[in-house]
Amino acid sequence: MFRTTQSEEALCMTVSEDEVRRVAALIRLEVHEEEIPSFQRHFNDILTQFHSLERLDVTGVDPFAMDEVRKTLLRDDIPGTWNLRDEALDAAPVREGDFFRVPRILGEAE
Amino acid sequence: MELWQLPAWRITEAVVRGELSVSEVVETHLARLRTHNPEIFALLTVTEKEALRRAAELDERHARGEEPGLLAGVPVVLKDNMCTRGVRTTCGSRMLENWIPPYDASVVTSLEAAGAVILGKANMDEFAMGSSTEHSAFGFTANPWDLSRVPGGSSGGSAAAVAAGFAPLALGSDTGGSIRQPAAFCGVHGLKPTYGLVSRYGLVAFASSLDQIGPFARDVGDLALALDAIAAPDPKDATCGTEPRPRYLDAMMTDSLRGRRIGLVKEFSGFDVDPELRNTLVHAARVCQDAGAELVDISLPVTIGFGLACYYILAPAEASSNLARYDGVRYGLRAEGDTLLEQYFRTRGAGFGKEVKRRILTGTYVLSSGYYDAYYLTAQKVRRRIVQEFAQVFSGVDAILLPTSPCLPFRRGELVDDPIRMYLTDVFTLPVNLAGLPGLSLCTGYAKNGLPLSVQLVGKAWSEQQLLGTAAVLESRFGTPRIAPLETKTHFKGGERL
Repeated sequence: MFRTTQSEEALCMTVSEDEVRRVAALIRLEVHEEEIPSFQRHFNDILTQFHSLERLDVTGVDPFAMDEVRKTLLRDDIPGTWNLRDEALDAAPVREGDFFRVPRILGEAE
Repeated sequence: MELWQLPAWRITEAVVRGELSVSEVVETHLARLRTHNPEIFALLTVTEKEALRRAAELDERHARGEEPGLLAGVPVVLKDNMCTRGVRTTCGSRMLENWIPPYDASVVTSLEAAGAVILGKANMDEFAMGSSTEHSAFGFTANPWDLSRVPGGSSGGSAAAVAAGFAPLALGSDTGGSIRQPAAFCGVHGLKPTYGLVSRYGLVAFASSLDQIGPFARDVGDLALALDAIAAPDPKDATCGTEPRPRYLDAMMTDSLRGRRIGLVKEFSGFDVDPELRNTLVHAARVCQDAGAELVDISLPVTIGFGLACYYILAPAEASSNLARYDGVRYGLRAEGDTLLEQYFRTRGAGFGKEVKRRILTGTYVLSSGYYDAYYLTAQKVRRRIVQEFAQVFSGVDAILLPTSPCLPFRRGELVDDPIRMYLTDVFTLPVNLAGLPGLSLCTGYAKNGLPLSVQLVGKAWSEQQLLGTAAVLESRFGTPRIAPLETKTHFKGGERL
């Protein structure tokens, strides 16, 4: 069972078209207006599935599950050489010398 | 028997003895690929020239008396999310359509060190998100057993390649069932190892706490052989375990399951499972019992009841973060914009397909302010409960027997517009990833309509040797999987866009 009202509210609400636009903006994803209803439908369908988690008591459970599966591995910090700088730069859509060329950033409108 | 019908271990044996040349082996498999890949569309890229050159080089090295490796002369197909230096690695996405990695994934280096020959790169659901390979940006892979049906996914191309006899061995990656479910659908065996057994260096990331690379084969011995070649510590992957690996091939010496305890999950009876898949599970349990194992009823209520919801919060959350790197600046597609921000939006809108967009939107939503506690953090806690539940069950059993998939391969287009129903086909595989355990899908025969049947074995962490031994005993009773006949002529053809 969830203990906080905020969580309960979050789980009970449905997602609006504006919410889809907000999330798409957060992730820098262009979505066309005609795609929005289908994403909205998917959101609401999948959030309904997530509601099943409400039935499980997880109070006091440590959320870091992977601690039990794998311990953090440490190794010595030994410098190595990496000779692929040029090839890596060549993979860029637009390379200019030793740089990745992008549209102007400084002086953009506020 | 044709050369392309041989399992990997027999190819290696014959190459080592000098009875077969690597060039012969590679040419035969390439010929089969040329004939049938156009209808199956298992491979996106066939590296024919490189494979022939490498085969000739290996033959020369053998002639000079150099030590042939564990996989001497074995043709292998790689899922197209494993980096291959100089060979494009698309991840089934427009985003990486023309991307050529400057380095090899560690598994590629291991395979080549073992004497294997890479034939090409296999089709997959975009960024490994999907259960049917219909979400590839480059077209549909057909199930070799019925071309109108899906091969499963996301490693559908790898599974189909092994089922069609293009190669005896393929590698896939499994984040929620992406090796085991396509193995089941295509009638081959597939193994998802313990999280951390095989290096993920050079595997394009989907959900980093769940992803794991593993082999497909038509012979349990070949799975063991492949694991012997690729399971090794790797300083380039901080999550790859440093423990020494046993020799997995030794598992093939087992012919009895005396003393083993096999768990049967009670909760599974509440699921809508195909009756023939139910029967094959009962049959497999009986085979284990006849071989000396004790059957134990076990209960996994949290895992079976909540695993799916937990997975579809955590995997998209990790994906939304991992896929943030595709911004059109350093590699991959760029859609021009007047400002950098506009370029990000356009690039990602143009480069990602529908399912990837759905998942990164969901993932971003569950991580966003106000929802993080309710969804992401809760799912993390549920994950820990699942890990603990498996640990408790494994204090009393050595392996768990359950279905790989609740259904036989479905038809192309049947579920593609119903993502939630598609996700449900992973209900028995994805808890295994949440707990980081090894899972093996074993082909157990064929349904009345000719489609492959399968069961899944799940073991304790790092128990691959024992798991392979159990699978070998089952295989000795069920027989090794057949190569799909590829005679069915239908109007469906792989490679078409949906």
